[in-house]
Amino acid sequence: MKRPALWSVVLVAGLLSGCGSAGSGSSSGTADGTLVVWDWKSGEETAASYIEQAKADFAAEHPDVTVEFVAQPFDQYYTLLGTAIQAGKGPDVMLFNGGGQIRDRADALLPLDDYVTGDRQRLAGWEAFTAKGKTYAAPVTLQGHPLYYNKALYEEAGLDPDSPATTWREFTDDCEAITEATDASCLALGNKEGFGIQFFLSGLGPGVLTPREYDAWIAGDRDWNSPRVRRLFELWKETGDAGLNNDGANSTALFNDAFALFQSGEAAHIVGLMSDVGHWKDFGEFLDPDDIGVMPAPRAEAGAEPVLPYDGGIGYAVAKWTKKPALAADLVRSLTSKDALQAFYADAGAVVSDTTVDVSDGGAALSAITSEIGAGKPALHVALSTETLDLLGRLSQQILSGSTGVDEALEQLADSDRKG
Amino acid sequence: MLVGGAQPTAGRPGAERTGRTKTPWRAQGASAGTGSPRAFGAQRAERLAPYVLVAPAVLVVATLRLWPLLLGVNYSFTGDGARDGTSVGLDNYAELVDDPLFRTALGNVGLLVLLLPVAVAIPGMLATFLFLRVPGHRLFRSVYFFPAVLSPVIVGAIFNLLLAYDGPLNSLLEKAGIGAVDWLGDPDVTMFTVVGVHIWATFGMALVVFLAGFSTLDTTLLDAARVDGASLARVIRHVIVPGLSRTIQFVFVTTMIGMLTSMFGLLYVMTSGGPEGSTYLPEYYIWIQQGQLNRPALASAASTVLFLIMLVVGLVQIGLLRRAGREH
Amino acid sequence: MRVPRRRRWAVAVPMAALALATVYPLVFTANVAMKSRRDYILDRFSPADSLRWDNIATAWTSVGLGRYFVNSVIVVASAVALLLLIGSMAGFALSHLRFRGSRALFLCFLAALFVPFQVVMVPLAQVMADTGLIDTYPGLVLAYVAQFLPFSIFLMTSYYSGIPREIVDAARVDGNTLYGVYRRIMLPIGRPALLSVGILNALFCWNDVLISLLMMPSAEHRTLMVGVTSLRGQYSDDIPTFAAGVLIAALPVLVIYLFFQRQIADGITAGATKG
Repeated sequence: MKRPALWSVVLVAGLLSGCGSAGSGSSSGTADGTLVVWDWKSGEETAASYIEQAKADFAAEHPDVTVEFVAQPFDQYYTLLGTAIQAGKGPDVMLFNGGGQIRDRADALLPLDDYVTGDRQRLAGWEAFTAKGKTYAAPVTLQGHPLYYNKALYEEAGLDPDSPATTWREFTDDCEAITEATDASCLALGNKEGFGIQFFLSGLGPGVLTPREYDAWIAGDRDWNSPRVRRLFELWKETGDAGLNNDGANSTALFNDAFALFQSGEAAHIVGLMSDVGHWKDFGEFLDPDDIGVMPAPRAEAGAEPVLPYDGGIGYAVAKWTKKPALAADLVRSLTSKDALQAFYADAGAVVSDTTVDVSDGGAALSAITSEIGAGKPALHVALSTETLDLLGRLSQQILSGSTGVDEALEQLADSDRKG
Repeated sequence: MLVGGAQPTAGRPGAERTGRTKTPWRAQGASAGTGSPRAFGAQRAERLAPYVLVAPAVLVVATLRLWPLLLGVNYSFTGDGARDGTSVGLDNYAELVDDPLFRTALGNVGLLVLLLPVAVAIPGMLATFLFLRVPGHRLFRSVYFFPAVLSPVIVGAIFNLLLAYDGPLNSLLEKAGIGAVDWLGDPDVTMFTVVGVHIWATFGMALVVFLAGFSTLDTTLLDAARVDGASLARVIRHVIVPGLSRTIQFVFVTTMIGMLTSMFGLLYVMTSGGPEGSTYLPEYYIWIQQGQLNRPALASAASTVLFLIMLVVGLVQIGLLRRAGREH
Repeated sequence: MRVPRRRRWAVAVPMAALALATVYPLVFTANVAMKSRRDYILDRFSPADSLRWDNIATAWTSVGLGRYFVNSVIVVASAVALLLLIGSMAGFALSHLRFRGSRALFLCFLAALFVPFQVVMVPLAQVMADTGLIDTYPGLVLAYVAQFLPFSIFLMTSYYSGIPREIVDAARVDGNTLYGVYRRIMLPIGRPALLSVGILNALFCWNDVLISLLMMPSAEHRTLMVGVTSLRGQYSDDIPTFAAGVLIAALPVLVIYLFFQRQIADGITAGATKG
């Protein structure tokens, strides 16, 4: 007669115990001979051959170890990682963006310095995965912020596509010519997520700061009151006020609406990326590859020496809680092996960390980028903490809409940067 | 009366008076209890029955809602990052009070509560017209429910495109000479845009409830009003609203729950809290602090504050409705 | 009460526009799913030039949506079954039986309705990890039950409050125990409410991304909506494949809705009008 209640107890108990085996810890990575990897790349079609190569490389040395890649949705990736870190359980190996995201979570990661000494020279971009002098991930790609321009629009506006502006003055003049002669806006800007300002800072900053100030910024010595930093933010405001951006920049998503503007010829310039998306290969699918130009940041202040801003893009790290640190580190090395990276370049057009990978077949835009890698420097925004970047995004929107002035914004940013 | 009606009968003094016998299960238990141990056991089983019936529910809610909640409260008094695991007293709460973003988020909760009547009135009006059999009412009735079956993630993604600055809605407005509106980029507009989309996505559910309410309406009153030649506005005010008071209350509660607990998906996809942080809601704040900014303890403090606020809002709402219910 | 003819049309036209607006997103999604990525980026709104099924096929095969589909069915069905059982038991007790603390208990369940999931998100994941329930079907099922139980109890209690006492009394006089009353009277009589609670909960669980993602971090146990969202990487602009995935996920729901339209309406409203 207690049957209904009993049923429910039995059902709950059954669910708790009986079928519990259905999910016996495949992601905990504790089972012998299995390594679990979390990322958001391995599910993508263009990354398939890369993962395949890396797996093959790893299997050659460890034939009895199974590697399980779990592609997580990127939107929720760091929240998911956060709960795993709090629980102290999770994958053995995981993918990170360089910069703040990995620095903030370094406590949960295994320092890789002793494992990757052999790759130090071959790969570039280590700094983005370094916190307090220790390396926590091996770079897979390089991510940078070249300034792309559309040569066809230059021609339409009567400008010489092969000698783009070198000073800010010339740049705004060219912009005027372009907006007058074509329907396109001068810059494609997507600042809905607050990413537009990050690309702007990093893409155009080298044309404003002196090399000394630039290096000091990267090293952590940032003077938010310096005239040049102020000038950089005033440029941000100017481009908005002068109508150089597309309409509704604060409601245009950088990924991928702003890129789409450039791809479809509705904007003449964009601070884009080197890898993943919004890069030379992506643009080349829609525009004639010969029409895609890459130019250094126009010089807005005397004494600035524009360089290509780039860092390590994404890299694989090893969790502190893994039971097989040496094995996991070996997998990281396989994921950065030359053959794997070569495949990643070939299929996804990623500019990979291995500078020995042959990219001569990539076209003019790519060689313009890669030729600058040697002299390049880390990007300005990557040096900032995630908290400061979050604030920067909101303030940049306010500067564009006029509800906050540059001075006030700089004050708040200085505060936040000090705390971070 | 909905909320009042849904409360346990035992809680209402009137219930006992209206019941013809004593509480039935007690009477039954007494008559069965003739002294044999077996009957005694049965009697005890009967007495325990209500507890057994609610036990699974209590168990689930206590272990998987209440217990985590308490863990979270406890966690909110510890620090993040370098201070991980150490007790920091009320520091996290102090930081919340100082954070303009969190204040905006709380302000937006207030805005949602203020917009609640609109979210109830729209399906109410539509249901009235359907009830009055405007041409095509059958079709409208089935179709209006469609958005309610779509996930907010999908709804948000689609409206992102429709409401883009260079999107189809703005080009329509420009053609009409009204000019474009930055639906998702103007901090004064965006929160209303998101609420509008939320209403669009959920009004079908409330509409169905209203329609069922109409079906119980006393038609003689309506006929009388027609004979008197009363205007539609008067009929709505004097016949429909009083006749549907219970339905309206029900829609109020469910709409409120929807607005206060399930806007996250839309916000996430449509605005990410922007522009300028104007569309932050506490649950989004919690999400960002926990995931992107790696501040789980601060997120726990925000969770605790949000829980307390929702508790107050919920209880006030229940109280108000119960009083309204008593008046009718 | 009838509105004058001309006025009726004045209302019908905007209402028809609204009807179009409610159908359009689905049409739009279906249209995008038929486009190539290139066509989509160049023009999002133009009609697809042909019926291309490769996006659907890609979405289905590339992340293994078939498997996730099965996962979703298992999890949603178990969660809904438990919700109906536990919810109706509690609803019966709270509406017709009196016992100490029943009123406070009902208020607790009601208050729980107003708490967003994000409030308990992290500690719940912690509890699940500590008990070894994380990444198991039972773990996710329990998380769903915990999340949607207050709503189910609310609806069931409302509905049962409308059942006259006399019916219960009569069954008691016939010699039924309370469990018998629950099984022989309340369950059959509660059918419309059970149906709507079931369908609504199925809808919530089916469309959920967040809870499922946190409780099932490994790939093989994913539910369908998580699988669909993972079709988008960090930057992926392959929206047509995503749209195809969206379509796959929405289809069963739409079919169920069209099938049970009448019952859904009756059930949802049961609590609001009777009692």
